[in-house]
Amino acid sequence: MQHAWTTIVLGGVLLPVGCYAGLEGRANDEAAEQGSDGTEGGESGEGGEEGGVDADYDPAPVRLRLLLARQYTQSIRDLLGDDSAAVVTPPSDVAINGFDAVGASQLSLTDAKVDAFESSGRAAAAVADPTKLAVHHTCTPTGADDEACLREFVTNFGRLAFRRTLIAAEIDNYTAIGLDAATDLEDFGLGMRTVVAGMLQSPNFLYQVEVGEPGAIEGHRRLTGVEMATRLSFFLRDSTPDAALLDLADAGALDDAEGVREAAWLLVDSPDARIALADFTGELMRVRELATVPKSTTTFPTFNPALAQAMSGETRALVSHLAFDSDGDFREIFDAPYTFVDAQLAAHYALPNPDQYGATFTQVELPADQERAGIFGHAGLMSVLAHVSSTSPTYRGKFIRTQVLCEDIPAPPVGADTTLPPAEEHATMRERLEAHVADPSCAGCHKLMDPLGLGLENYDAIGTFRLLENGTTIDASADVDGVPFAGARELGAIIKDDPRAAACLVRNIFRHATGHIELPSEMVEIDGLVATFADGDFRMRAFLVELVASPAFRVVGEPE
Amino acid sequence: MLIKTTHSRFILGRRTMLRGMIGGASVALALPVLEAMLDEHGQAYAGGSALGRRMITWFWGNGVALNDPNNGSSGLRWTPPDQGPGYTLTPQLQSLENVRDQVSVLSGFRVGAASPGRRGHHDGCVMFAGHPFIELPPNGANYASKFGGPTIDQVAAAAVGSQTFLPSVQLAVSKRIIGSEGPTLQFLSHEGPDQPLSQIFDPREAWNRLFGSFTVPDDPTKPHRIASLDAVEEDVLRLKMRVGAADRIRLDAHLASVEQIRTQIDAVAPLCEIPPMVDQNNDDLEGQEQLEAVNRAMSDLLVMAFTCDVTRIASVQFTGSVGYTVFNTVGATSGHHDLTHDGGMNDMVDNATVFTIAQLAYLLEALKATPDGAGTLLDNTVLLASSDASSGLTHSTDDMPILVCGGGGGTLTHPGIHYRSPSNENTSDILLAILESVVPEATEVGSGNGYSNTPLAALLA
Repeated sequence: MQHAWTTIVLGGVLLPVGCYAGLEGRANDEAAEQGSDGTEGGESGEGGEEGGVDADYDPAPVRLRLLLARQYTQSIRDLLGDDSAAVVTPPSDVAINGFDAVGASQLSLTDAKVDAFESSGRAAAAVADPTKLAVHHTCTPTGADDEACLREFVTNFGRLAFRRTLIAAEIDNYTAIGLDAATDLEDFGLGMRTVVAGMLQSPNFLYQVEVGEPGAIEGHRRLTGVEMATRLSFFLRDSTPDAALLDLADAGALDDAEGVREAAWLLVDSPDARIALADFTGELMRVRELATVPKSTTTFPTFNPALAQAMSGETRALVSHLAFDSDGDFREIFDAPYTFVDAQLAAHYALPNPDQYGATFTQVELPADQERAGIFGHAGLMSVLAHVSSTSPTYRGKFIRTQVLCEDIPAPPVGADTTLPPAEEHATMRERLEAHVADPSCAGCHKLMDPLGLGLENYDAIGTFRLLENGTTIDASADVDGVPFAGARELGAIIKDDPRAAACLVRNIFRHATGHIELPSEMVEIDGLVATFADGDFRMRAFLVELVASPAFRVVGEPE
Repeated sequence: MLIKTTHSRFILGRRTMLRGMIGGASVALALPVLEAMLDEHGQAYAGGSALGRRMITWFWGNGVALNDPNNGSSGLRWTPPDQGPGYTLTPQLQSLENVRDQVSVLSGFRVGAASPGRRGHHDGCVMFAGHPFIELPPNGANYASKFGGPTIDQVAAAAVGSQTFLPSVQLAVSKRIIGSEGPTLQFLSHEGPDQPLSQIFDPREAWNRLFGSFTVPDDPTKPHRIASLDAVEEDVLRLKMRVGAADRIRLDAHLASVEQIRTQIDAVAPLCEIPPMVDQNNDDLEGQEQLEAVNRAMSDLLVMAFTCDVTRIASVQFTGSVGYTVFNTVGATSGHHDLTHDGGMNDMVDNATVFTIAQLAYLLEALKATPDGAGTLLDNTVLLASSDASSGLTHSTDDMPILVCGGGGGTLTHPGIHYRSPSNENTSDILLAILESVVPEATEVGSGNGYSNTPLAALLA
């Protein structure tokens, strides 16, 4: 299979000149490389202080990373309780290169965002669960002005909020503002809440601060124990580390790969890990956009917000199942012959007796006649990758090229005629696109994208299976770089076995985990992780554990 | 007891009047400008300081149908056939009838900062800054770009924003915005490459930001909020010493925003009657956006914010770049961006442009109906309306559809004209001309091919 793929991938390099010239080249070289040596065993994750870091590994400069909105809210939940989490309104994430985490590492705060953090911090503090505050002091306050007791609270709560032990000046500052408020408002509790509101606005809470300490190789910095605890917890469960994890870190337990693995297994087994992976899947596979995607109500009267939410639930359920329940080959997201439906989605898929499924998601075998399997047959992905009232083979193909195979698609040439020929002259989308692609300036790139999407034309713009378009039988025959297929089931099988797909998944998870698009100088470790993924039979939980134990996660570059 | 001024739709409370007379001109937030407070010409405060001038940038995505759908070579659907004052309103501009004297149509301009053209839509968006965009190499991820420098509204806000409660406000109407290609397409206002400014989509949230967050002077929590900010600032400064240069710049921005929030907490509430909370939301109804209702609510709030002098700088993203707004009220059933690439749908693109300009006209008429000094808010405002391409079909940034509206406090030519550039002038010349109306000392805008130090003379009074 490997050899077969090498050939096919190399075949894919024979791109039309116009498009090839626009590619950066590297992506293709890499794809070819991974095809030929992707099976080499990884040597990362073993050995000494830095986990056997490759001498050629040159990690990207580390940046402050703002907590994502979901990480902010879930941290508030863990620190202060559900009531507090319900009242915060953190600013929306801004994605760069398609990743929230990349935006969080590059962009600066603005007035409106600092304003939102100020009001959210106060609101969260005001309704914080009193028992969540009380655990941070053993003393009984002797009055509103009990400074020693407040100092104990500041020290203990501060360690959780800042995810490290506070320095004396910080303890002094926050004790002072808390004491002022407690005295002025004649309430020790309001003093604690003032401290909480302040700390939640501190950069020490709002950013993942990763300064590290000098590593074994010049220019490398190894994350400290509490920095690792923080990175682990936010990556694996989208929330702040708890006291037990910080204790482990302070005891040095996260200083070697084995200790990190041990801690990581506990985290990936937490219920939050499921939600974290599902949320990232929603980001990467774009099904979170279902919450806002518009569809023509005349063309698609059955489409509504509840159905859209069910579609998103299906994809999240499959990911959770593969990573956490079946613990199987995660690449089954591309070809699973089963899925998860509630009553609404069962009706949408025309399954018999849809009402038997109710409101919770149930695993069902997919009927073979709709040729569905994996996410390419999910109504959610098919809806997001479509227009308001029609499909878009180009969007679908572009998504597979970029998000699934990590290939670059150049922009349309400036001045290109981007007109699609009128619908009335062509019954099917295939005919319209083929007429469009007759223009040689467009053909090069469209030939990379369109065929992949044309093979999915049996799923309309809300993912309903159809055989006809405007009364004409749909021809869903297509190919992936020369390998023929028709429909989601065949496409999924091809993509699942394409080494580019597993390698791309690893790259995408690395981007999310570290908040940057990988540099060429980081590929040596990433290639090692790709091999680790394969060696572990593509099981996701074990892979996440190996990822966080590897130098790719634990070693960062000197800041710029 | 409330009194209503005879020519204003804005209601001033009695307490407002009293405080205004007691407080005089020394208050942090200015009064709605009453005639009694002005000099005898109504052109300046009695004390001699100039009336506040306002700036709005107003954006719609995907350009316009430049041509008559039935006559591809006519070019008359958007661009007037004649030049100078009293120009003929084309079908797409017809709704500007009541404000035509305060609208200048500028045609034949190219986006200098787009040269050499690199990426459709991204190239057009940068017109609002005059700085070429910064490409963020995708390396097998999504293509993305960010602005190369501040947009013109933020250049103005940096100069005059400290005079008001909010330096600026960012509003939006359609939610069908592209978020997958980076800040350039997603946001209209940018303080700089790493500070895109999030827009407010929900009028209730806009009300809250403009009118709902004033601190009452005797609020017992106020000193403690300020004290928290002190502690936060110390934390930021301490953190700055531990990070690299790139992060230090980000932390400086963080610090500046903390300072701004401190100013806002400290500010005196505006000395005008706070308008009642709006109940207009921006939820879809039966899968459709409430474009007209949201536009009205946002426009009304903006007019009241200007009247109260809560801010003087605003941006309104009516629809997004590459946006997929469905103009269902004019018969569209597909997203706007798709429409513009559908050869058979030029009539519908035309309908969408007509609809869009009618929404702009609502705001212009509301500004015109609101007294400000001896004139109207429109007299003291400059509004730049444009898009991210001349035509969505070609992504061309030549012959951009551009309107400059308002009197700019007397700095802009009146009555409005149609001026067709004889030489494909740089759109940054327009930016500099409008910037000078708010920031008279400005001498240049933009960078690279977008740089200009030559304000468009035809636009100046």
